[in-house]
Amino acid sequence: MKARSAFSIQRDVVFAIFVREMITRFSTYTLGNIWLVLEPLLMMVLFMVIFGARGRGAYGFVEAPVFIFAAFLPFRLLWSATMRQSASARGGAKGLLEYRQVRLFDVFMARTFIEGGLFVVVGIILALGLMWLDYDPWPDDILLALGYCAVLWILASSFGMLACMVGSIAREVEKLLSMLTMPIMFMSAVFFPMSIVPQQYWVYLTWNPIMHAMELIREAWFGSYISPVADFNYLFAVTLILLAFALSSYRLTWRRIVAR
Amino acid sequence: MIRFSNVSKYFPTRFGPKYVLKNLNLEIPDDRDIAILGTNGAGKSTLLRLVGGIDFPSEGKIISDRFISWPLALSSGLQSSLTGRENVRFICRIHGVKANRETEEYVKEFSELGDSFELPVKSYSSGMKSKYSFAVSMGFDFDTYLMDEIMSVGDAGFKKKCESAISNKRASANIILVSHNMNLIRRQCNAAILLAYGRADFYESVDQAIFRYQSL
Repeated sequence: MKARSAFSIQRDVVFAIFVREMITRFSTYTLGNIWLVLEPLLMMVLFMVIFGARGRGAYGFVEAPVFIFAAFLPFRLLWSATMRQSASARGGAKGLLEYRQVRLFDVFMARTFIEGGLFVVVGIILALGLMWLDYDPWPDDILLALGYCAVLWILASSFGMLACMVGSIAREVEKLLSMLTMPIMFMSAVFFPMSIVPQQYWVYLTWNPIMHAMELIREAWFGSYISPVADFNYLFAVTLILLAFALSSYRLTWRRIVAR
Repeated sequence: MIRFSNVSKYFPTRFGPKYVLKNLNLEIPDDRDIAILGTNGAGKSTLLRLVGGIDFPSEGKIISDRFISWPLALSSGLQSSLTGRENVRFICRIHGVKANRETEEYVKEFSELGDSFELPVKSYSSGMKSKYSFAVSMGFDFDTYLMDEIMSVGDAGFKKKCESAISNKRASANIILVSHNMNLIRRQCNAAILLAYGRADFYESVDQAIFRYQSL
């Protein structure tokens, strides 16, 4: 056995967990890894049908499918999935923590990377599908859109990590999170732009950093859209504070979480 | 050398802290193969987990400069939906072993699983699992092997093979063994730690430790 640096140990471990999670996630399903693309695709089609049936979804600056694509994909894969995967990392890590070089943090990192990677891969596949159907799904300012997506991704991972820490004290957190999924989606301006929300209701939504992320992504994605409320400084500050809080609470509690 | 300095370990319960180890000062020399003896609940597995670095002392420190294996217990650390081969590959990856092909073939041959090696671990019987876990651990070169009741299952022929594998490893490594099989301990160990009355005592002589253990 060769001595390795701390960095190379962590790199090896994160990579190993990454591969392991990719193999096991859908291995019990008949269609296997096709579900990676199929799941968000089905959800998006469902929402397109619902919005289409009500004659809504087009807000003047873009067609309904592209609007839903640009909002639902980051929300679903970067926020919901990343947050949930991090929050449930403790259960997923059970068998892994029998090895001394594997720490809970490696599981957080591997799962966060998986969701980020999936976002890119699934996004490209769905965008190619939309191109086939004669839409223009690509962001107008692709780097800016990806930058905002990255902030949302880190926000989700930090929140999930924090939820995992608190969940180790009170399991009720899991219940609370699954109860809050739907309300958060409606409060995050996923299926409507903030420009259609009357000004007197903005105060009820502007505290929500995810809403800011969704609006900023939308601005970068559609050059013709200008959000009335989006505030990058607020989003960035909340993300930074949550990240610092998550990392420090991990550092304070990880030994207690690992101990049986 | 593995050194315990002032190690205490307790678990918080609703009756207050339950001490498993208290102010333990101990040095495990590199050339000794250690048996850990003690009644159920005395803290044998906890001691092993502390040495293995997957649990941590409530107070004090454990210092070591050796490559210590994970505590080898029945089917610990295996992902049941992955195949035998995939599990070995995972363990190779986290240990930075690049020659994973060789390790996989070694484990396949040593475990005598044949084609079952390519099937999910959850389809293994407990005997197969014990063969498999043992073979996996023998596929890696550690300085110290931690074994928790791993040889209590398995057929007679395989047990013999395990013991000869351990004897070979003992030339370059040492073992720390938890077992209730006194004959196995007499054959494979040359020192013992007895956990009793909230203390841990180091015995140079295995027979003396076994005598004390049996008269507890």
